[in-house]
Amino acid sequence: MESKPSTTPSSFIDQQVFPGDVVLDLSKMANQTIKLGGGLRQDGDVISVMKAGKLRFSKPNKYWVESSNKRYVPSAGDNVLGIVVDAKADNFLVDIKGPTLAFLPVLAFEGGTRRNIPKFEMGTLLYVRVVKANTGMNPELSCMDASGKAAEYGPLKEGFMFESSTGLSRTLLSSPTCPVLETLGKKLAFEIAVGLNGRVWVNAASPSIVVLVANTIMKTESLSPVQQKIKVESLMQRMR
Amino acid sequence: MEQRLGSTWRMTVNEKKFIETALLSDLRTDGRGPFDYRNLTIQFGSEDGSSEVQLGQTRVMGFVTSQLVQPYRDRPNEGSLAIFTEFSPMADPSFEVGRPGEFAVELGRIVDRGLRESRAVDTESLCVVAGKWVWSIRIDLHILDNGGNLVDAANIAALAALLTFRRPECTLGGEDGQEVTIHPPDVREPLPLIVHHLPIAVTFAFIGNESTVVIDPSHFEEAVMGGKLTATLNTNGDVCAIQKAGGEGVMQSVIMQCLRIASVKAADITDKIKKAVGLDGGVVEVAHERYESGLWTLILKNGGVWLLILLTNWSSKEAFCSFTLLHLLEKLRNKTFVLVGKAAWKGVNNLSKEMEKPKMKTEDRSINQDDMEIEIHSSKKDGSSLGDNKPKAFTGGPSSWDPYSKGVNVDELKASLASRAVVTPKEEMDTSPPLKPATDESLKDADPAPSSQETAGTTEHTNEAKTLKDAVKPKHKRKKKKNLHHLFETLLETRLSRCCNVNLLCSLELAIVACN
Repeated sequence: MESKPSTTPSSFIDQQVFPGDVVLDLSKMANQTIKLGGGLRQDGDVISVMKAGKLRFSKPNKYWVESSNKRYVPSAGDNVLGIVVDAKADNFLVDIKGPTLAFLPVLAFEGGTRRNIPKFEMGTLLYVRVVKANTGMNPELSCMDASGKAAEYGPLKEGFMFESSTGLSRTLLSSPTCPVLETLGKKLAFEIAVGLNGRVWVNAASPSIVVLVANTIMKTESLSPVQQKIKVESLMQRMR
Repeated sequence: MEQRLGSTWRMTVNEKKFIETALLSDLRTDGRGPFDYRNLTIQFGSEDGSSEVQLGQTRVMGFVTSQLVQPYRDRPNEGSLAIFTEFSPMADPSFEVGRPGEFAVELGRIVDRGLRESRAVDTESLCVVAGKWVWSIRIDLHILDNGGNLVDAANIAALAALLTFRRPECTLGGEDGQEVTIHPPDVREPLPLIVHHLPIAVTFAFIGNESTVVIDPSHFEEAVMGGKLTATLNTNGDVCAIQKAGGEGVMQSVIMQCLRIASVKAADITDKIKKAVGLDGGVVEVAHERYESGLWTLILKNGGVWLLILLTNWSSKEAFCSFTLLHLLEKLRNKTFVLVGKAAWKGVNNLSKEMEKPKMKTEDRSINQDDMEIEIHSSKKDGSSLGDNKPKAFTGGPSSWDPYSKGVNVDELKASLASRAVVTPKEEMDTSPPLKPATDESLKDADPAPSSQETAGTTEHTNEAKTLKDAVKPKHKRKKKKNLHHLFETLLETRLSRCCNVNLLCSLELAIVACN
């Protein structure tokens, strides 16, 4: 990884950066507004990195550092997989792998009224959306999308859930489709739900397919796209 | 309170149902069959008696230490064995520092019972002065990562540590024979413990209805299981202990079936442990390669000792010099190694070897034509410190190697030889003077059979002590050396004949490098 400070930001984009790296030199860029996301900090005239990860850029002017952790920091708008821990009068307590439990209001369902509150037992797996997430407060969740429709949120039945890192979740959700899912999808029929908090749920007709998909995803996390394809092919060959 | 809740691992109902349904078709979540163990790797630390076992995701470290203490009143001539467990919070969010929880105590009890009740470790040999001083062996088990089935992994770690542990030798002295002197390891070679058999713990989990039994449960399966059974057995067919603490009731036929399966698995695991420790005398070939200069390298592994053998023919001596170090260093980048011996082979079938002690950089080429025996021992076999990482510094210039002054005592050798059955007639000790000056590396001349392994960095003093000791206690080591030696020879012969187009009457130079 480059340790020389560079004037052109493009040399660092999509590269691994470490805390202390200088990625932008503001004196060379005049009259521009830049938006800094997580992991970056302004030190006078330069922008330096605070978190280890990959530097990302999105047009027109957003920079941020993306890293992969086992812990999840809740942020608004994320789709996550939560596990119901408790049911209170007004909301369900849901664990989303964050620092605190999250609240899911009992009315946050499509067509939800006091009369038809859903009954979730302890340990139910839910696909939910994070509505509010402020530091120090318990995050708030919802089983509806912004417009009030159910839209796939809600409890997930059957299948198998496993936990991994947030980086894997992002890879699985990236577009174009990540090579693992593509190769698996060509031959096998399965259903998958990915939470940005590192939880992945897989379901298929037979348990062997579920086990195959789950293990393949876990094992190919650290490989490059080409390697992933090769590994998946070989694993599938063995099953056939 | 909520903070704590946030860090525990939770199960979903989906998982429970899935694991049970998958088991109906004999499939487990990590792709194993119901009676498959996970990958087992056993590694050793730099000290004697330290081991690290990895069983899938589960990691356990074992340490064995010893101390001289007063014996128990009712057993005045037996040493004692104690097991301590340490459940580190980094292994699992539910483990806490401080007093061991219920499960920690149970694990300690299972391992302890397996070793103590079955008398696997010979405690009577630990007695020094009856009624006054005995050795107390302490086994510490540290749990580093909980991926399920801690009991089995801890048991294997304890056994591996016990097998590689060496206790200091002590002698009685003083006026009334009551004074005990403990000799430090560089004065007298430390001794291994006498372990009669290896009790292996095999854990079964009962999931769903009682007929579904799985072996070696993973973290997921342990959270879903209804009951657990641990059977400790050894390869002689003895059941050393069984533990079933609570949980679902199971039928007698299921228990008998479990015991049958456990005995098969126990044999398997015993093999693996023995191979890792190096007791089975097996030499594993890791790689071999041929270079243009006519240099052949062969990398073998026996337990924790690696052996790099360089073979070359006469004409390419110069190439040998230059290639040796480069390729050695390349191949064994991560290991410290020590050049300990060199020999010349005359022909393949006529295993007359000559011993020449080399230096690292400059190698003196004139080889003596006499028949000379080289005895090279495995560090494990002789009980010298296993995995000694300190490479002996090679001095650039010649160091005097005088066979008569430095630890090869011909009389003692002859005595030790006489006390043993010599294997082949050609194995005579002949320390002929015109040997090249050499470093004081581990040439042990005590064993009659030229064996293959070499110690990394043992001193001449230990050589001497070993000679005496070997003369006194030949039984323990003889068999192993013979096996090893035999195996090594066969291996080398096959390799030579295969690799080198050997109809050879030409001499081959053999440089033996040990590293760990």
